[in-house]
Amino acid sequence: MSDKSTIKLNGREYDFAPGETVLDVAARHDIYIPTLCHDPRLDAVGACRTCLVEIDGWRRLAPACATQLEPGMEIASENERIDRHRQTLLSLYMTDHPTDPAAAEPGAPNELHAMASHYEAPMDWGYMESLRDARPDDRNPYVLFEPDLCILCARCTRYCDEIEGVNAITLAGRASETTISTVDKLSLMDTSCELCGGCIDVCPTGAMGKKMPLVRGDKPERELDKVRTTCNFCGVGCQLDLNVDRDARDGQGRIVKVTSPPVGTTTNDGNLCVKGRFAYDFVHHEDRITTPLIRGEDGELHPASWDEALQAAASGLLAVKDKHGKDSLGFVSSSRCTMEENFLVQKMSRAVFGTNNVHQCAAT
Amino acid sequence: MTNSIGEIRDAEFLFVIGSNTSEAHPIIAMEMKRAVKAGATMVVADPRSIWMTSISEKHLQLRPGTDVWLLNAMANVIVTEGLVDQEFIDENTEDWEKVRESVLRYTPEEAEKVTGISADDIRWTARKYATTEKAGIYYTLGITEHSHGTDNVYCLANLVLMTGHLGKPSSGMNPLRGQNNVQGANDAGATPVFLPGYQRVDDPEVHARYEKSWGVELSPVPGLNLNEMMKTVGDDIKGLFIMGEDIIISEPNVTKLEKGMNNLDFVVTQEPFHNETTRYADVIFPAAVFAEKEGTFTNSERRVQRVRKGVEPPGEARADWEIVQALANACGAGWNYTNTADVYDELARDADKFAGISHERLETEMHEGKTGIQWPCPDPEHPGTEYLHENGILRGKGLFVPVEYRPSMELEDEDYGLLLSTGRTLYHYNAATQTRREQGLHMKQSDAFVEIHPRDARKRGVSHGDMVRVSTRRGDVECRAIVSRQVRPGCIWMPLHFGEARANVLTNDAGDPITGTAEYKVCAAEIVKVADRSETKSGELFPGSYYQIEGPGYNVAEAPYGALKVAEEALRQPLSPDKPET
Ligand code: SF4
Ligand code: SF4
Ligand code: FES
Repeated sequence: MSDKSTIKLNGREYDFAPGETVLDVAARHDIYIPTLCHDPRLDAVGACRTCLVEIDGWRRLAPACATQLEPGMEIASENERIDRHRQTLLSLYMTDHPTDPAAAEPGAPNELHAMASHYEAPMDWGYMESLRDARPDDRNPYVLFEPDLCILCARCTRYCDEIEGVNAITLAGRASETTISTVDKLSLMDTSCELCGGCIDVCPTGAMGKKMPLVRGDKPERELDKVRTTCNFCGVGCQLDLNVDRDARDGQGRIVKVTSPPVGTTTNDGNLCVKGRFAYDFVHHEDRITTPLIRGEDGELHPASWDEALQAAASGLLAVKDKHGKDSLGFVSSSRCTMEENFLVQKMSRAVFGTNNVHQCAAT
Repeated sequence: MTNSIGEIRDAEFLFVIGSNTSEAHPIIAMEMKRAVKAGATMVVADPRSIWMTSISEKHLQLRPGTDVWLLNAMANVIVTEGLVDQEFIDENTEDWEKVRESVLRYTPEEAEKVTGISADDIRWTARKYATTEKAGIYYTLGITEHSHGTDNVYCLANLVLMTGHLGKPSSGMNPLRGQNNVQGANDAGATPVFLPGYQRVDDPEVHARYEKSWGVELSPVPGLNLNEMMKTVGDDIKGLFIMGEDIIISEPNVTKLEKGMNNLDFVVTQEPFHNETTRYADVIFPAAVFAEKEGTFTNSERRVQRVRKGVEPPGEARADWEIVQALANACGAGWNYTNTADVYDELARDADKFAGISHERLETEMHEGKTGIQWPCPDPEHPGTEYLHENGILRGKGLFVPVEYRPSMELEDEDYGLLLSTGRTLYHYNAATQTRREQGLHMKQSDAFVEIHPRDARKRGVSHGDMVRVSTRRGDVECRAIVSRQVRPGCIWMPLHFGEARANVLTNDAGDPITGTAEYKVCAAEIVKVADRSETKSGELFPGSYYQIEGPGYNVAEAPYGALKVAEEALRQPLSPDKPET
């Protein structure tokens, strides 16, 4: 039985299920195999060749992400041959990739650069100018494509096709001019793009980047604090990471961007929609109400201290209760607010004012 | 939801009704796309063509408000063709006979006349649903926002029960919640009938327990629901406290409501932004937004998840929970919560369903590789509940409820010849106080619009991009016309996000007798043209999902504004996203 469903990886025996790849089993047992074009949500394409492993009896190295296991396979994920291959491959990738760390990583982490450094791949094999077109006139406010950083792994286009299902971007052009583009080089705003930002999130090098932080020259992602929280839009409850610049706003913190948690750790599986990923500028918007306000005799709203406002609100509500009875008051709480806040509003309505006239506004 | 979001990808049959999933719940839609890609069959029942219909096996484009007919006819097929799960029915349900009999007169042929869906399609869908093991139903406000919303839900429940599609992965009945914490707000007791955890205020045991726990006298009389409150604002209701909601833009029949608001003695609101409702406030407290506070949200799949503070609120703004505590104390309450974990503990202490959940556990535990805990979770060792009714029906037996069709409160007539439905779009959110401040969303969809079928547009001399007036018995608004086959002939559709063309000036406040939810989805309306598109301000008009726009009859080269370029582009777009033409 045992040879039916086991393989050997680096000399140790592991079980596998039909259809699983070398990478699946390695990942389950925390055995690191470098990857660039792989994403668990996407069909394997075996394009980048960073994940090559050696299988006994196979003449050529095989991509771990795309090679399905067969009973009894004996596999090595690390040895001298693989190392040599990897170094060569990474050095080749680096010939048309910025080597200076700051240029290589203006925003999101650059996995290729990190990998090349990790495997000590020589970065001095010369430099070729990238000929890829960047669609500089695209007026979309969210996605910025930096062709120098692109390695054509096609994670972005496959995500747009396989996960988001809209096919807004695609590999275009030939040979050294191959690039990521849209039909007729249209702006994303004029395509079927739904601005989900998934292409940004899956890109391993940061070639697909968030436009505003890059244009504004915000700090790169590695200098930001990530705060995991729950999206405040629909009822799916996606988990997202606020990337906060702690020093901004005189130490009050500013949200530079939102990123999604790793695949497989949350309900949203690394995906977000346009609202979750991009609609957070309202947080720091100048229209925010910043002080308590009381309507004066003149019918206008006037800034007030917290004490004044609380006194005014309390006596106003209590006066209604005294004059018209407790059930003349209504409490509207919000499905936008937290559990705890809704709990306190219903408790205030019931325990402080004595009425069950309390309902969340969830009608729409 | 009786199931979890992660189970959707494994479903074999998805019946999506009254849910514009890809726009209202994009992430759920991704899971559905994934299921379809893996070979699942999807049927979408919706009066409008939506993105999901482009990948569905069938689109049942029913007349708005005729859901009961469609669903009862499906039940009819399942009964008459002997496709019921008798064993499940015998073991787990009550009152089966009543439903079995009541659906007999809802034949697919009769249903075809009322709903406009062919009897064959009804039969096909019913058979497929009944005979597929992992068959789930997904619905949202398109089902509930009717004067007969509760009936619609009962009909769906009947289908689920008679086929035994419950208590198993990837099947069941799954309402997708519109707002982030609808589930949580209900769970927490922000309803006139229930204390936290769905414990009735008029249940003597519950009442006594909470009086003891809170140390005060409580009213045992259920209160008014929101729909009722809004109808008597200014009459019986004399004072309002409103936290984080723009009732003026979200509630139906606004003109009447605004009159009532003027007759109130006192209004307190707490908001991050000024909105239509704050114009009536006597006191406004500046509130923090989600990124500025701690707490929890509970999502559609009953998963309690943490909200964490990333940045400080601006100026003197404070978290809503701090404001409510301060206000209660200003009224003499003497509360003393030091943080939201304290508040959650008190909530959990008196409600079994959440008794095992605490901020501490949410901080430290992962379940099934995911964060958050799904209630019911009765004790601190309990891992949470992925899908409901695993071991039979949760409380006692599942009750069959026979439902008879009642037409919507208001149907088209001579004066108002069209049926208006309202809804949301991908690029905005409710009153759009947040999303319209976001440039990309604003660029995608800057203007209010109404979708109208080419046939109805032609009759009224309206062409694409014209400014039109939409009117109902309650009021009128002006916006752009999008001439589109997305809507059925005889029907029009408007998004509800736009302050300058508030769809809820038009909608009917007739409520469902049980839940009080207003009839946002059907009312009679009429459209007249007020200005030609060439006379309207130039600007870009990006309808949310612009496939299927009807465009012949205008020349793109002469187009006064960019929208036509978009429309032109849209015409060249293939309907199915899988086959790009170029
Ligand atoms: S932009 Fe990024 S994800 Fe897309 S092909 Fe280039 S490197 Fe890969
Ligand atoms: S933002 Fe989303 S829809 Fe647009 S191109 Fe990127 S992946 Fe595709
Ligand atoms: S990750 Fe395997 S070939 Fe790219």
